[in-house]
This record gives sequence, C-alpha cells and structure tokens, in this order.
Amino acid sequence: MRNLLSTELFRIFRQRKTYYAIIAVFILEAIIMISAYMQGREILDLFLENLTDTFEFNGNLLNGNLIVYLVLNSFWFHIPLILMVVVSGFLTSEYQDRTVEAVLLQPVSKLKFIGAKYMAALLFTAFMLALLIVTTFLFAYLVFGDGDLVVYLEGLSFFEPHEAFSRLVWAFASGSGTMLFYAVVSLTLAVLLREATATWIVAALFLLVTTLLLRFDFGSEGLNTYFFPKLTDTWQALFYVEVPWDAILTKSLVLLGYSALAALLGIAVFIKRDIT
Amino acid sequence: MILEAAAISKSYGSLPVLKEVSLGLERGEICGLIGPNGAGKSTLFRIVLGLVRSDSGQVYLDSQARKPLGGIIEKPALYGYLSAVENLRVFARVQGMRLSRPEARDLLEQVGLPIDRHDPVRNYSMGMKQRLGLAIALLNAPGCLVLDEPFTGLDPIGIRDLRELVRQLAVERQIGILISSHNLSELGDLCDRLYVLHKGEIRHSGPTREILRRATLKYQLYGRGFLGSPTLSEAGEPLSDTSALISPGPHSIESLLARVAAEPGVGLSACIPQLDLALLLEKQPV
Repeated sequence: MRNLLSTELFRIFRQRKTYYAIIAVFILEAIIMISAYMQGREILDLFLENLTDTFEFNGNLLNGNLIVYLVLNSFWFHIPLILMVVVSGFLTSEYQDRTVEAVLLQPVSKLKFIGAKYMAALLFTAFMLALLIVTTFLFAYLVFGDGDLVVYLEGLSFFEPHEAFSRLVWAFASGSGTMLFYAVVSLTLAVLLREATATWIVAALFLLVTTLLLRFDFGSEGLNTYFFPKLTDTWQALFYVEVPWDAILTKSLVLLGYSALAALLGIAVFIKRDIT
Repeated sequence: MILEAAAISKSYGSLPVLKEVSLGLERGEICGLIGPNGAGKSTLFRIVLGLVRSDSGQVYLDSQARKPLGGIIEKPALYGYLSAVENLRVFARVQGMRLSRPEARDLLEQVGLPIDRHDPVRNYSMGMKQRLGLAIALLNAPGCLVLDEPFTGLDPIGIRDLRELVRQLAVERQIGILISSHNLSELGDLCDRLYVLHKGEIRHSGPTREILRRATLKYQLYGRGFLGSPTLSEAGEPLSDTSALISPGPHSIESLLARVAAEPGVGLSACIPQLDLALLLEKQPV
C-alpha cells in the first residue's frame, strides 16, 4: 500500500492539471482579496450604517480577519468544486488512459489500488487546504492588517483579534472535514461513473443539491440535524457568540462516518466490478 | 503446461461471449489465438489475466512466482506525461520492486528502446509504446506473457521488429507467450501452435503449419514465363507473364512448384500463400 501511495503522490505532482488546480485556488483567493480591497469599505459602511449612530467603532473593520472570513466562505461552493473536479480526475484519467488495467496487470490487489487512491485523495485535499489556509492568513494579515472581526449570523457579532484568529483557525479545521467529505464522494462518483465528464457533472450536481438541501426543512429533527447536507456548514457555528462545541464535535464525527460510508461504497464497487 | 485455461465461459447479460474455451501454453512456446473482431479474444485474455471474472471454468498457472503472468491488452496503457524510465519505475514500484535508473535503462535496451530520451512517452510512436509495454510486462520476470493484438497500429517494420522481439523472449528466456490477432499472416510465421476462436468457441487448434495449410487454398506466384506454362494453365488463371494465382487442388503445392520450375522458359521467384481466415472459421471440419 505504501508503494502504491507513494507512486500515486508522485504522479499527482507530475501532472499539469494539479498545478492548474493550485493556480485556480490562488486565483480565487486573489479575487476575494482584491474585491474586498476595492469594495469592502463601501459594503461595510452600508452594513454598519444604522449602528454608527448608536455605537462608536475603533480601528479598521476591513482587516485581515474579515478577509480570512470571506475566503472561508468559498468553502460553500468554489473550493469543493475545484477539489471534486481534480480528485475525481485521479481515477477517471486512469480509466480513460486504461492505466487502471495496466497497474492491475501487475501483482497488485484491487483493494490496495483503490485504497491508495482514497488515501492519495485525502492527502492531496489536506495539502490544498493547508496551502489555502497558510496563504490566506499570510496575505490577509500582510495586506489588510489585524483588527476586530465583524460577522453577521442571526445578528452582528464582534470578536477581538486574538478571539477572531482562534475562531477562524477552528472554522478552517471544521470546514476541512467537509472538504474531505466532498473529496471522498467525488472519488466514489469516479468509481461509479468511470467517465470524466459524467463524473464532473454529477459531482457539481451533488454539490448544488447538497447546498440547496442545507436550507431545506425536512420536518424531522433527526434529518434536520444528521442528514449529510445539514453537516456541511458546521464551521459556521464557530462564529456564534457561544460556540456549541459538543454539537460541532458530534456533527463532525457523523460527517466522518458519511465519508467512511462513501469510501466503503466506492471500494466495494471497484473490487466487485470487472476491469473492462 | 505453464498456463492452462479450462472450459472458460462468459456471458455479458444474455449474450454469450465465451463458450467452454480451453487452451494451454508450454514454457518457451509461442501460441497464437486467431479470430475476427468480436470473437472473444480480448475477453478470454482479460479472464486469463485476472481482470474479468469468468462465469465458469478455471485458469491454472504452474508458477510460484510473485508475478506469474505479464500482459498487454490491446494498446499498451502508459502514463503519457512520464518518461519511459519513470513509467518503468512507477510500474515497478507499485509491485514492490525498487528499480534503479541504470536497471530501468538496461530494461529499455533489452526491448530495443533508446535510453537517452527523457521526454514524455506521449511523444513515442506506437511501436515504441508497444516495446515499453513489453518492458513493463516483463518486470518481475513472469513465466509467461499474454499479448492481445500487439501488432495493431504498427507499420510493417514495427510488426517485423516486434515479432523478432517476441521470438527472442520465447527462445532466450523460455517465456511462454500467448498472442492474439485477427490477422492470420501476423501470427503465421511466429507461433508454434494456433487456436482459432470464433463466436466464443475454439473452432480449430493445432500446429501452425497445419492450421495454415487448412487456411490456404490459393497461392500467389511471381516469376517469368508464366503465360507459356501448361502446369499453371491447369492450376489457375495466369494474370500476367510474371504473376499468377493458383489453386493446387488435389496436388501438393510442393509438387506443383517442382513441376512449374522444371518447365523450360519458366522461372519462379516467390510463392505467397493466400491465407483465408474465413475458411478456418467454418464449423465443419476442413
């Protein structure tokens, strides 16, 4: 398995599309920062218009913490979409080039082959997230400086700089669990569909439907709490005044369970199916 | 036998693809599987190589090696963005082998590939890709090779070179080689034995010369003075003074050629059997 994993990682970083994905993430990050720089002050002024009559604000609210929070919001759609396209390609490209067949003509078990794919998908996702998190904090603080974080979630909340930093780090950690879930699902879709374009379309649809169902009321406490679309925004809870740590932990573990189920489904189908 | 497939059957849905197919392969032997497109050759090879499960039947391998079988199915599948050495090292690594760069270069030399190219293999010709595919199949020294339609997409020189390489592997390394094609002439002078597969059934099997004899009713002759040859007039229709298509009929081709060669004013320079695969595919004995 270690040999398979190391060759997977070697090949991932020898492919041009990997670097396209990294560049895409950087472009996304840059667009968020540039638009915040250009329009952020106006939006904030509009946002806080009614409060400036009552409260006096000290310092610049358009600061690094707000920028990091805005980048974090790309976890809703943009980052998972890029991840799903790239990760599913780890397998669909092998189906397309028939290298799945070539590898399995060697003394390699199907279980180890697909197991290494899932491991590589998780490691690659973790790498991309680490890159995103480090560069976001670095550039945001360098360009916009430190300051209070203002967040609107069922009302305006203000967090002092050290509190804001800690909450943002935890939010990234929680959001990373969601990104790993999407990565696993995309690889399972690649196992099921085998063809790149079909996998991309279904992956994008999955993402859209999940995002829509997040706001949908299923009329059941269980479904509203533990159905997987309801678990993809757990990181938002880090910005409530009182952080519901127990709920965050429970939801994260349930989402981990969904990820494991998705991986097991993909592994079982891959092992059962003929290589044709 | 190093490889034996016994009574292999496979259906896709209600469509039977293989019906109780059996074949065997000895060490150092080159065995051909001939059949038209859709005969079931690739499915049989995929089953032999363990990529597809058969509905019934067994594949026996007389080998304790870590990799008893190497193979290529249709075109060689390679990582196009990697160089030849990198491809070899990746395929070696996945099976737990540590292949150093000099060892990889040795392997490339053995299959007749240049060792000074570092560009991605997507730039390689089909013949070079086939050779690299063979080098990958040979990793971990398998006792036999299964090559499915390895001549597809190759030019005549590529076909000749690949045939030479396959023969060399069988003779020098005593590797049993099972090779398929839909073109009888590609396997004719390469294989020790042939199996004829049609509609999922083995229609004929035996030494190559026997199979070729069954598949040959006509011969194309080249030479001079054909228009004045009484023997050729009996055996066929002279096309011109320098070429003729003949059917030996009840005579053997050897005796007929001897008679033609003995005629004054006639000279023979070539005799090419006109192989007819359709003859072999008929179910009744030929």
